[in-house]
Amino acid sequence: MSLDPCLGVESQLQPYLDRQLTPGEVSMIEQHLGTCAYCRERYHFEAKLRDTVKTVCCGDPVPEGLVERVRLHCRGQGAA
Amino acid sequence: MLLVADSVGLVADPPSDQAEPTAAAERAAEARDRVHFEEEALEHADQLYRIALRLSGSQQTAEELVQETYLRAFRGWRGYRPGSNLAAWLATILRNVFLDEARKQSRRPAQESFEDTSEYYLYNHLSEAGAEPQEAVLNRLSGGAIAESLGDIPPMFREVVVLVDIGDFSYQDAADILGIPIGTVMSRLHRGRRALKQALASRASEDAS
Repeated sequence: MSLDPCLGVESQLQPYLDRQLTPGEVSMIEQHLGTCAYCRERYHFEAKLRDTVKTVCCGDPVPEGLVERVRLHCRGQGAA
Repeated sequence: MLLVADSVGLVADPPSDQAEPTAAAERAAEARDRVHFEEEALEHADQLYRIALRLSGSQQTAEELVQETYLRAFRGWRGYRPGSNLAAWLATILRNVFLDEARKQSRRPAQESFEDTSEYYLYNHLSEAGAEPQEAVLNRLSGGAIAESLGDIPPMFREVVVLVDIGDFSYQDAADILGIPIGTVMSRLHRGRRALKQALASRASEDAS
C-alpha cells in the first residue's frame, strides 16, 4: 500500500474488485473505505460500472434459432 | 469422419471373428460420445455468441463466428479432454476463428498504443461534465454504447476485457484461451479497462453535445 492511503486504494481497486488480494490487503482497503468518503464514492462508481457492463452485455439478445442454425450449418458441412 | 474411424478401428483390431462386432460397438460408443459432446457444447452457444458480438461488434459477424467455431469444434471434438472446461475450450476456438477472420480482412490486431489514464478517468470526466450524479449516467448506459466503446479499444486489450468482464472467465482461463502468461492477462486487463473508460467518456461527451 502506498504512503498516501487514497492512492493505495486507487491502485488496488481493480484487483480488489477481482478478489485477487490477500485477506490482509482486503482488510486495509475496507478499513480505509469505511473512513474515506472520497474513495468510497469512487469505489461505488467503479463497482457499478463493472456491474453495468456485465449486466448490459449479458442481456444481449441472442438471435432466435441460433442453436438450430449452428446445428444445420455443421451438418451441412459434414461435421456433425 | 465415420469412414476414418471405421478404417482405423478395423486396422487396430486383430483379424478374428470378434473383430466386426467389437469395431461396430466401438463405433456406436463413439457416435454416442460425439452426440453427447455436441449437445453439451451447444449449451454454450449463447455465451459464445455474446463474446463474439463484443469481439466483432456486428450481429451478423458474431453469428458467422459462432457457426465456424462449432464447425471446428465438432470436427476436432476428440481434442477436447472430457471433464475440462468446455466453455474455455470453445472460447479458444472462437478466438482463433476471430483472429483468422481479422487476418483475412487484413485488419490485423495491432499492438496499438494509447494514452494511459487515471483509474478514475470516467468518474472525473462525468464530475466535470454535468450536474447529474455520475451513477445516473451508468443507468442510461446502453448495449450499443458499450459495444461502440469496446470497438474503440485495440483488439489485444478488447479480447481480455471481453473474456474476463463479460465472458466471466478467470484470469487463468483467459491466459489459457489467449495463450499468454497470466501476468500479461492482468496488465492487458488493466489497460483495457482504462481504455474502455476513456472510450465511454468520449461517448458521454458526444451525447451531451
